[in-house]
Amino acid sequence: MTDIKEQEDIFKLIGSSLKKKIECFVIGGSAMLYYKLKEATKDIDIVLLKESDRQYILKTMKALGYAERSSKILYVNKKNVPILLQRGQDRLDLFNRKIINLKFSDGMIDRVNLVYEYGNLTAKIASREDIIILKCATDRAGDRMDASNIIKSANINWNALFEESMNQMNLIGDVIPLNLYQFLLELKEDLQVEIPNEIIQKLETQCEKILTEKLKKGTTVRVTKYKTKKHL
Amino acid sequence: MKSIEIAKKLEGVHTLATAAKSLNVKKSTAVKMLSILRKEGFVETSGGGKKPRLYKISPIRIVGKEHIGIYDLINKYSKVKLWEPYKHKVIDRELSVEEAIPMALSIAAKERNFRLVLAILGLFNHVKDWSKLGYYSKKYNMARRVGALYDVTRTIIKTRKMDNRTRKVLLKGKDKSKFIIKPHKPQYFKYIEKLWRVYIPFHISDLTRYKE
Repeated sequence: MTDIKEQEDIFKLIGSSLKKKIECFVIGGSAMLYYKLKEATKDIDIVLLKESDRQYILKTMKALGYAERSSKILYVNKKNVPILLQRGQDRLDLFNRKIINLKFSDGMIDRVNLVYEYGNLTAKIASREDIIILKCATDRAGDRMDASNIIKSANINWNALFEESMNQMNLIGDVIPLNLYQFLLELKEDLQVEIPNEIIQKLETQCEKILTEKLKKGTTVRVTKYKTKKHL
Repeated sequence: MKSIEIAKKLEGVHTLATAAKSLNVKKSTAVKMLSILRKEGFVETSGGGKKPRLYKISPIRIVGKEHIGIYDLINKYSKVKLWEPYKHKVIDRELSVEEAIPMALSIAAKERNFRLVLAILGLFNHVKDWSKLGYYSKKYNMARRVGALYDVTRTIIKTRKMDNRTRKVLLKGKDKSKFIIKPHKPQYFKYIEKLWRVYIPFHISDLTRYKE
C-alpha cells in the first residue's frame, strides 16, 4: 500500500529524472489521497495523453529500477489495460487516455481542479465527479466504498456526472449511463449513500430511451456488468 | 455537526455574518466553528484590516508541503487579478517570477486565456535574474514570445531594463508558434511583432488597466 507521502516521493523522483516537461493525470485511489478521502492506495494510477509520453515515462521508470509486470494478472479479459510497473511494494499503472471501457475525455481535462508541479512532472488531479465515473468503469471490490466516501464528503455536481456518462457513450459506444445507473442504485440501496432521486430518475429515463432505440435497431446491450455462472 | 458537513454546507466564500446566517447560529459560535474548520484545513482566510475578513471554505483539504502556484503569484504581483480555475501548487521549490512568466504563457497559449497573458505583463517589473528568465523561456519554448511581451510591457509600464545578453538569447529562441493566442493578431504593435516574429494579441486599449 502507498500513502500520500510515498506517492509524493515517487512523483518527485519521476519529476527529477525526466528531462522534459510531461503532463499526467492522476485518477482513482491516488487522486483520492490528495483530497484526503483515503489513507493509502494499492496502486498509483496515471493517465498520459500521448503514447510517446507513456513510453518515455516507462523508460525513465525502468532506469529507476521499476520492473514491468504482465497486466493480465490484474485485468482479466479487459481491454485498454495499463502498463504495470512495480518496485518493491510500490505499483504504478500507466494508462494511455483509454481506461478499460472509458476515455479520459476533454471534459475531464477541463474539470481538473488541482495541479501539482513535481520538477518536470505536472500532475493534474482528476475531479471528484470523474473519480466516481472511473470507479464505476473499473467496478472492483473497493470501488463502491471509495465512491461512497467521495459522495459523503463533498458536494457532487450530479449534472456533470450525467453529462460525462452521456459523453462517454458517444466516445466509446458502450451504454455508460446504464452502468452509472446500476452503480448509483447499488450505492443508494446497499450502502445507504445520499444520492438525489432526480439524478437516478434522469438516468433511468435516459437509459430506457437508449435501450428502446437499440431494440428498434435490433442491437442489444449487456445489461449486467457481472459475469454469470454460465459465462464463467 | 461534523466539520466536513459544515464545510459542505458553507462551500464558497463567506464573511463572518454570512457564515453565521447560513449556519443559523450566533456570530460568536460562527467564529468558533470557522476556527475549528481552519485548524482542520477546510478554510483559507484573506482580507482583514480595512478590507472585510473573507473565509474561503471548501470541503477539499489540500495535502503536502507546497509553495504558491502560478495564479497566487500573479495575483500577488500583477495589477490584473485572476480567478483560479484550479488550484496550482509547486512542490519542494519556490516558484520564481522568472519561471512563472514562461510557464503562465504556455498555459495561456494552451487554454487561449487572454486575461492570463494580460496579467503576465505585470510580472516583468519583478524579474531580478534576467539570465534565469532566459533559461526558463528556452526551456518552455517561449523565448521569442516572452521577449515580445517584455517589449510591449516597456511601452506601457516603467519596467527595469533587460540585459543585452538575455535579449540576444530570447531573440534566438526557436518557438514553435508565432502566435501567443491563436488566432489573434490585431497587429497594433507592428514594430515589436516584426522584431520578435510573434503576433501580439493586444490592442493598446486592452492595456489601459496598467495605465490607471
